[in-house]
Amino acid sequence: MVLRTLETMGPQHGFGLAKRIQQISDGALDLNQGTLYPALLRLEQRGWIQSRWGASDKNRRAKFYELTDAGRKQIGHETDDWVRTVALMQRFLRPAEKES
Amino acid sequence: MRILWNRFKALFLNRRLEGELDEEVQVHLAMRADELRQQGMDPQAAQQAARREFGGVDQMKEAYRDRRGIPPLEILAKDIRYGLRGLRRNPAFTLAAVLSLALGIGANTAIFSFVNTLMLRMLPVEKPDQLVSLYKTGGWGRGYASYPLYLEFRKHTDLFAGVFARSGADKVRFDPGHSNRAEFVQREFVTGNYFEVLGVQPVLGRVFTGDDNRTPQAHPLVVLSYDFWRSRLGLDPAVLGRVLLVDEQPLTVIGVAAPAFHGVEVEHRADLWVPAMMYRGQIMEPGMHWIWIMARRRPEIPRARLQAAVSTIMQQYLAGVYGGNPNAAFRRFAMEQKVEVRDAGVGISELRDAFGKPLRILMAAVALVLLIACANVANLLVARGSARRREIALRFSLGASRGRIVRQWLIESLLLALIGSILGLLFAMRGERYMLLFLPAGSSDEFHVAPDAAVLAFTAGISVLSALLFGLAPAWRATALDPAATLKEGGTPSAGRGPRAGLRQALVVVQVAFSVVLVVAAGLFAHSLRDLHSINAGFAYQNVVTFSLDYPRAWEAADKDRLRERLSTRMASLPGVASLSYGFPGPYLSGNWSSGIRVPGSARTAKEGVEVAEQGVGPAYFATIGSRPLRGREFDESDMRATRKIAVVNESFVREFLPGVPDPVGRVLSFDDSKPEGGEPTYIVGLVRDILHNGLRSRAESTVYVPFTQGKQGPLAFDPPLLVRAQLPPDALVPMIRRELRNLDPEVALVEPRTLRERIDDSIFLDRMVATLSGFFGVLALLLAAVGIYGVMAYAVARRTGEIGLRIALGAAPARIKWMVLRDVLLLIALGILIGLPLSLAAGRISASLLYGVQPNDPLTLVSTIAVLVALGMLSAFVPARRAASIAPIEALRHE
Repeated sequence: MVLRTLETMGPQHGFGLAKRIQQISDGALDLNQGTLYPALLRLEQRGWIQSRWGASDKNRRAKFYELTDAGRKQIGHETDDWVRTVALMQRFLRPAEKES
Repeated sequence: MRILWNRFKALFLNRRLEGELDEEVQVHLAMRADELRQQGMDPQAAQQAARREFGGVDQMKEAYRDRRGIPPLEILAKDIRYGLRGLRRNPAFTLAAVLSLALGIGANTAIFSFVNTLMLRMLPVEKPDQLVSLYKTGGWGRGYASYPLYLEFRKHTDLFAGVFARSGADKVRFDPGHSNRAEFVQREFVTGNYFEVLGVQPVLGRVFTGDDNRTPQAHPLVVLSYDFWRSRLGLDPAVLGRVLLVDEQPLTVIGVAAPAFHGVEVEHRADLWVPAMMYRGQIMEPGMHWIWIMARRRPEIPRARLQAAVSTIMQQYLAGVYGGNPNAAFRRFAMEQKVEVRDAGVGISELRDAFGKPLRILMAAVALVLLIACANVANLLVARGSARRREIALRFSLGASRGRIVRQWLIESLLLALIGSILGLLFAMRGERYMLLFLPAGSSDEFHVAPDAAVLAFTAGISVLSALLFGLAPAWRATALDPAATLKEGGTPSAGRGPRAGLRQALVVVQVAFSVVLVVAAGLFAHSLRDLHSINAGFAYQNVVTFSLDYPRAWEAADKDRLRERLSTRMASLPGVASLSYGFPGPYLSGNWSSGIRVPGSARTAKEGVEVAEQGVGPAYFATIGSRPLRGREFDESDMRATRKIAVVNESFVREFLPGVPDPVGRVLSFDDSKPEGGEPTYIVGLVRDILHNGLRSRAESTVYVPFTQGKQGPLAFDPPLLVRAQLPPDALVPMIRRELRNLDPEVALVEPRTLRERIDDSIFLDRMVATLSGFFGVLALLLAAVGIYGVMAYAVARRTGEIGLRIALGAAPARIKWMVLRDVLLLIALGILIGLPLSLAAGRISASLLYGVQPNDPLTLVSTIAVLVALGMLSAFVPARRAASIAPIEALRHE
């Protein structure tokens, strides 16, 4: 999710990411914004994103996160995985719908 | 893997990362607040809302941290930081502990380096554990044997997978071809199968095979050591086929041996190897003992059987060679030779044979020093533990487990040990250099005791071990407390003797006991050395310089005689030079020579001849070494040319052969010992004192001195060492000799100039080394014990302030209070001495063979040790005792 957001929006700071995710999920994912940061750290440790310090729109120093090549590849994997999972789930769900 | 690395990195960037996280959160909150403000919220409410949406900042940070680092390591890092902070905060404690440990660990490392080099390091050859040395004893010399004996053992392929032999590495002239200065190399003669049996491969060219050692003087080949190839020939690959002039023999280089290999002797490294057949001597002569036989044993043959078989072979060999000898004394002497099978996987070493036992004793001594140091640090830690009771109690009540606190404590101990061992390594390196100075010149070349992996592992091992030793008990003790009670008490332990006081006192008793052992040992060795120095060597060895000359190979004996004569005349004319002479073997120089003699009229030689020591000496020999004939005269120039055989004998000779004769001058002896009355007579012209030619520890033996030229007709065809007596200091004399020599003949080189004094010191180098080192360790032990006693007593007085104040308030005199403290110390010391004395008697018995003239239970040494320790105890307890006596009652009561 985070990776996807970064892919579409380009480099982004933590707050921007949190806002964006909230917007996309339309409030359905109403987590504490703070939980985002440990998740970002994990992605960074895996080498999928990288971070650097830059200036935000209001001239605040902020940490920007962006995708790495490994991260971009990972999106491909995860998307495939996800599509496969969804397809599988649908196959389970559809017959059930017919029977009902 | 990547994750682990990133996490690991985080351990070291902790502070920075923490700051970044903080900033990141702040920025996030500020941005959200800005947004909300723009939507019309008032600033404060906006900030609160932003925080609410964010969730728990600290919880998030904790989760973040857990993910960032590796928690157990992080705790460890925290413990280490905490420990370092603790050590920094208490510099006096840290300094005392680290210094104690550094001295203890340093002493151990230094001695262990020697043990490692001499006894543990395996030769870099194939399966070194199968190598044995066929060590010859009895008869003439030890270790070295004859070539025929080697050939004999080589026949027994049922016992050995291979038998080889090598001469000692001897220093010979080497002409690199590009300079006029003589250079020297260490050459070793080896049998053709030397490399093959050892399993040493060449890095370049080839090594010898059996075919390279068949015919005398027919194999002018040489294999170089890698180090020699590198340092002298610059790793030049074109060296193969080049002809090197070694000892004036042109030798063709056929190969370079594997890099780590320097021969089989520990203290003498070979630069190059030459086939034994190139030896310029009578190789097949069974009386020529010049090679050391070694072998690779067959692992399936048990040791006892191998030794028995070797002894049988030796007996048969001796019977074959000497059985028919008509001279009974000579035959008996020759038949006494034996061969011992010794393990040689760590190489052969004459130094080890001499040094082995003293080294083991020194190792035990340094182990005691380390134990004393550990006791000291443990003591300091217990004291610190008491001081930190409040802190520990607080940590307990905040939920720390006992294991966690003990661990924290042990980490501090390990830190101390680590710092101590680093410092100790530095001490050890200095100490080793100092120890090397004791070794006799020529007993070893460029002795390598640099710390290798084994030494470093040893140091690390003992430092961890000592950390556990001194850290565990205090840690356990310190954490055995009731947090609530301790906090209520305010951290000051209640008066009285708790178990903790017992531990500290036990530690002091141990320190005193071990110190007793070390001080007694130091006393015994010092005493022994003093006795050695007081021995009358029979001559005044001050101001005498000895040296040898290296002549061109082509020179005949007459050329050498002429040069010596000219040099003698030139030197004698120089101001400050008293005389020059020469003699073989000479004092402290080249070993022994013996001959069988008969003395007509002596009961001792009535039945058969007797072997006596023989010396061939030049004119004014006795004047030069600082002795004087007691009767008769010594040899002069004319004796060197006379045909009448004459001799000078020593006092032992008279005692043995002519007992009761006050003046042997005019009596006769004979070197022809085939008949009871002897053959051609040799007339005794003088009597001299006994001279200890073989070192201060040797016993005087019956000796016959003959004019050098007369001895030379016999077996004494060796170049004699020269001696110069002068009023000049050696530093000025040696360059003078060098200059004169250059003027006479630039081709002759001066070899190994040393003063006689140095040679005498070398003859007792072990005694000097053991005495000096054990003295040092004794002082160290006393110092550490003093610190220990002081610490315990100072602490005891501080703890008993209230009680002592009360006593003073009730009218106790200050002297009485002082005595109260001193009595405690005396009790501890008495206990320590009681334990230490039997220990030191046992230690003395073990080291008895190293002592000279003093018994291991020498009462003087024991009594003075007790006196020293009591005095030390009083001294170190004096300050605490005075403090106790000056406690003001009112202050003491406030203290309560």
